[in-house]
Amino acid sequence: MKNHSGRPKTVIFFIFLIGFLIGCPFFLPTYWTFIFGEILIMALFAMSFNLLLGYSGLLSFGQAGFFGVGAYVVALLILKGWQSLTLIMLAGTISAALAAAVIGYLCVRRDEIYFAMITLGFGMMLFTIAHNWIELTGGSDGLPLAVIPALKLPGFELSLFDPRIMYLFILFVVLAGIFFLWRLVRSPFGLILTAARENKERLAFVGADVRLVRLTAFTIAGGLAGLSGALFCLFNSMATPGFMHWSYSARPILMTILGGSGVFLGPAFGAVVFFLLEQVITNVTDNWMIFLGAILIPVVIFFPQGILGTLVKHFDR
Amino acid sequence: MTDVPILKIEHLGHSYGKFQVIDDISLAIPPGELTALIGPNGAGKTTFYNVVSGRFPPRRGKVFFAGREITGKPAHKIVSLGLLRSFQITNIFPELSVRENVLIPLLLQQRRGYTFLRPLKKEKDLYRKADDVLSKIGILDAADQPAGELAYGDKRLVEMAIVLARRPKLVLLDEPTAGMNPEETERMIRLIKELAERFGTTFFLTEHDMKVVFSIAKRIFVLYQGGLLATGTPEEIRANPQVREAYLGGGTIQC
Repeated sequence: MKNHSGRPKTVIFFIFLIGFLIGCPFFLPTYWTFIFGEILIMALFAMSFNLLLGYSGLLSFGQAGFFGVGAYVVALLILKGWQSLTLIMLAGTISAALAAAVIGYLCVRRDEIYFAMITLGFGMMLFTIAHNWIELTGGSDGLPLAVIPALKLPGFELSLFDPRIMYLFILFVVLAGIFFLWRLVRSPFGLILTAARENKERLAFVGADVRLVRLTAFTIAGGLAGLSGALFCLFNSMATPGFMHWSYSARPILMTILGGSGVFLGPAFGAVVFFLLEQVITNVTDNWMIFLGAILIPVVIFFPQGILGTLVKHFDR
Repeated sequence: MTDVPILKIEHLGHSYGKFQVIDDISLAIPPGELTALIGPNGAGKTTFYNVVSGRFPPRRGKVFFAGREITGKPAHKIVSLGLLRSFQITNIFPELSVRENVLIPLLLQQRRGYTFLRPLKKEKDLYRKADDVLSKIGILDAADQPAGELAYGDKRLVEMAIVLARRPKLVLLDEPTAGMNPEETERMIRLIKELAERFGTTFFLTEHDMKVVFSIAKRIFVLYQGGLLATGTPEEIRANPQVREAYLGGGTIQC
């Protein structure tokens, strides 16, 4: 969690990176535009998860639940005929944050493995609701969307069925989400969060209500998971219970461990590695998870700070 | 105002299962008085501090802080009233810089902990205050180092800085010089005396080192097998036959 913003080299690097990301759909084949879109969504999902793991020291195993709440709220509102994309996205995010506030209230009293197990339990409850409440959620078929409201900008409308427009829309929302997180972790609350990770007892004994600190972080992380779920619903033109399955909660965990939980962009980097591996390896074999495992194990053992974490440390010297 | 004790304990008792750790302790400390709590190992000193500071609620009895009952309140509420503590085993934020260690209590004291999108760096007044506290304690030079990398004695000073940053009215110090070399001990004693005089902070400390106790405490409480055995000035305590009996099996208390 070092501060790189002050260095001109890093600023130039990020300007180029964002420029590259904007340019992607104009020189990449459509297939890769889709892959990059998905990576961006998962990057935001993983980074929202890391607000808990890396910054607050809480391992949540139920983030897919909030991801799914965002996705389903978006699908339901579109099916109801809502037209404003902004309102739909906002509703998805806020619903997920509310769900996280309620569930978090019941989770933040516990630590470590207990916290992980309780969040896993609640995540599975949300999955079961999505899977079994067929009248509302369509059950295991999910909610396919035949239409997606157009993106209304002053003077013209853009259809999100155009892969390039969809990609740029995702990029914009994800960058906004990441910028929000960036500001958050540098704020006074960010320091209090880190303090809760470092030593919750000392924090309580300088006057912070540790549960409230954690609940606030959990709610924000849930809201951002919901935002990424909302994007994913638009991206896939559907919401399915699969989004909420516990194995989906494992994705941000894997990405964060791959990239490194101690660096701000670690989880995003992990998302890139995760998807590129999937692409490269599935060309050879369908059992790509074996290879993911084979990479994950040495990362955990030899580079506990993750790939990006290790690189950043190396270049900092 | 001086009539209201800064800390008043009534019939305080706590037990772990059937084991009575502290039993029926009553005491009062006037504001500004440097007080010590002594007693052999296992007398219940740390348990006493834990129930007073809100680490866990006592089984019996009441605790009043500056006239206000705080029995069983959560730690963070007690802290915001002005009662802070240090721990026997140094309790700091090891991976954060020394300055950040002090910024945390300052943010909380100013109720700015829930500021979300404004950069911390803009809280210039708090940075100034943090550096003030650090220079008072004498560790400003280490401000940018991770607190966990400092020498043992300096880590204890970081904890003092954390505690004092909130401008407490009463500080419970659980063996502030434990594990320190003579030089560090000397420095800590001077610091406590100076702070008590300059800021009127009341210190209530437990201590193993009798030299320390008799050199700074104006009043001493002796805890023995969970109960209060004696109260008095250092001279009275030194002369008390019961205390000698409890401590050294009849010998003298050396200092």
